[in-house]
Amino acid sequence: MLLGQTIICGLLLGGMYALIAIGMTLIMGVMKIINLAHGALVMVGMYVTYVCSKNYGIDPYIGMFIAMPVLFLLGCLIQKYMINRLVEVDSILPENQVLLTVGIMLVLTEAARLMFKSDYRSVTTSYSSDTVFLGAMSISVPLLIGFFIAMVFTLLLHLFLTKTDIGKSIRATSQDRDAAVYMGINSSKITMITFGIGAALAAAGGSLLLPLFYLFPDVGHLFTAKSFIITILGGMGSTMGAAVGGLILGLSESLGATYINMGYKDVVGLVIFILVLLFLPGGFRSLVKR
Amino acid sequence: MLKVKDINVSYKDVQVLWDVSFEVKEGEFVAILGANGAGKTTTLNAISGLLKVGKGSIEFMGKDITQIPGYKVAELGIIHVPEGRRLFPEMTVRENLEMGSLFPEAKSKRKETMKKVFEHFPILEEKQHKEAGTLSGGQQQMLALGRGLMALPKLLILDEPSLGLAPVLVKQIFENIRDINNEGVTVLQVEQNVVQTLNMCHRAYVLENGKVFIQGTGQELLNNEHIKEAYLGI
Repeated sequence: MLLGQTIICGLLLGGMYALIAIGMTLIMGVMKIINLAHGALVMVGMYVTYVCSKNYGIDPYIGMFIAMPVLFLLGCLIQKYMINRLVEVDSILPENQVLLTVGIMLVLTEAARLMFKSDYRSVTTSYSSDTVFLGAMSISVPLLIGFFIAMVFTLLLHLFLTKTDIGKSIRATSQDRDAAVYMGINSSKITMITFGIGAALAAAGGSLLLPLFYLFPDVGHLFTAKSFIITILGGMGSTMGAAVGGLILGLSESLGATYINMGYKDVVGLVIFILVLLFLPGGFRSLVKR
Repeated sequence: MLKVKDINVSYKDVQVLWDVSFEVKEGEFVAILGANGAGKTTTLNAISGLLKVGKGSIEFMGKDITQIPGYKVAELGIIHVPEGRRLFPEMTVRENLEMGSLFPEAKSKRKETMKKVFEHFPILEEKQHKEAGTLSGGQQQMLALGRGLMALPKLLILDEPSLGLAPVLVKQIFENIRDINNEGVTVLQVEQNVVQTLNMCHRAYVLENGKVFIQGTGQELLNNEHIKEAYLGI
């Protein structure tokens, strides 16, 4: 029973991690850089939902629909006015764009600290501590709702990427940017939209995790690390890989917390990360391809 | 239709093109020939707006397009089929074709155009749900041509369509290109495959070290002493 509950809780949590990581993967696919500010975007999204909940009494699952457009806009602005400016200069190496995202991460984190102090905050709702029973296993309601919404978003994103022209343009740009321009795709517009979507997904994931995690300005680092691990697990730039990677990370954290020690749960993820880099550098995607 | 006047183009600090001028008239099949590093691809990328033009001007259907960005050049009807095909390898054949028809006009005729493309290249219809990366070299080149046609081009720019193909496939691709030209699409093609191209095109320009060295009709150039010696080895 304990094992069953551990596995289910891990998978449910992993679904929400996956949503955040898919945002990072999407940006990485198109931009070819790792966005180290991704966790900070999650954090900003969480604060938006938090403020909506605390000051206006808006339920976090509704607040996320405010946080997502806000973060979409923020992502677009960051891409258009900061990162794209570096892309336009030939002499600047892609590595410097990564450094820029570190700077953005620091600014966002410290801005949050200025506004909200370093206090640990949490959102409580009427159903925060509710559980449903599945046989003898008890599963927390926020976990279930969060997982369900995360899966819906993942599915919607998948449809968007495979069925619409803009979605296909995003995939085309990530596969061959110059060829996309030959086809008449405005690649700087596409990168801007992609960054916006990535940030909105980060906000969605953060809002879903808000009832389960403490919120403080540095919480972003945790999510940057997790998305980074997931992205490597799934194979860089693969959306499906990121979804699977998210589930695996959630599962292993949950197993580690139950059977090793609560304090070691993050270590389990990092150990898997190193093992994958050593023995399966292409991530799980390379298994499917062969 | 296309007038290129005295353009200079540089990559970073190295100047590649020096006062290059040429012209393509409507309905023509014009070739640009030259050895590796002569500046052929650079010329095409300058037209497509991927490279900045330092000096000179490029005019298309009476409009100055020297400074406009790449994605807008495509919208005017100049479609570039790049060297090495540059397909989207993890998208299906069908999706690749769809990516060729993003502009409103091309999009509204997407189905009909795709049908025409499948008539030109039946193998593409058969493989339409396969990923482009799984096609053979010849099929990939057909897909690249098809993707270009999907945009309903006024001017089709082809960069070494014969690159890396077996001789029998080169012949077929060249026949396809001639068919496309006969249907009224103006073609500007860059090639290293000199004999076959000169036999097929209306006019050709030969680039050497970033300058137009000689120009003329296909037959004139085939009989030119310098061309015979330098490119045909006769």
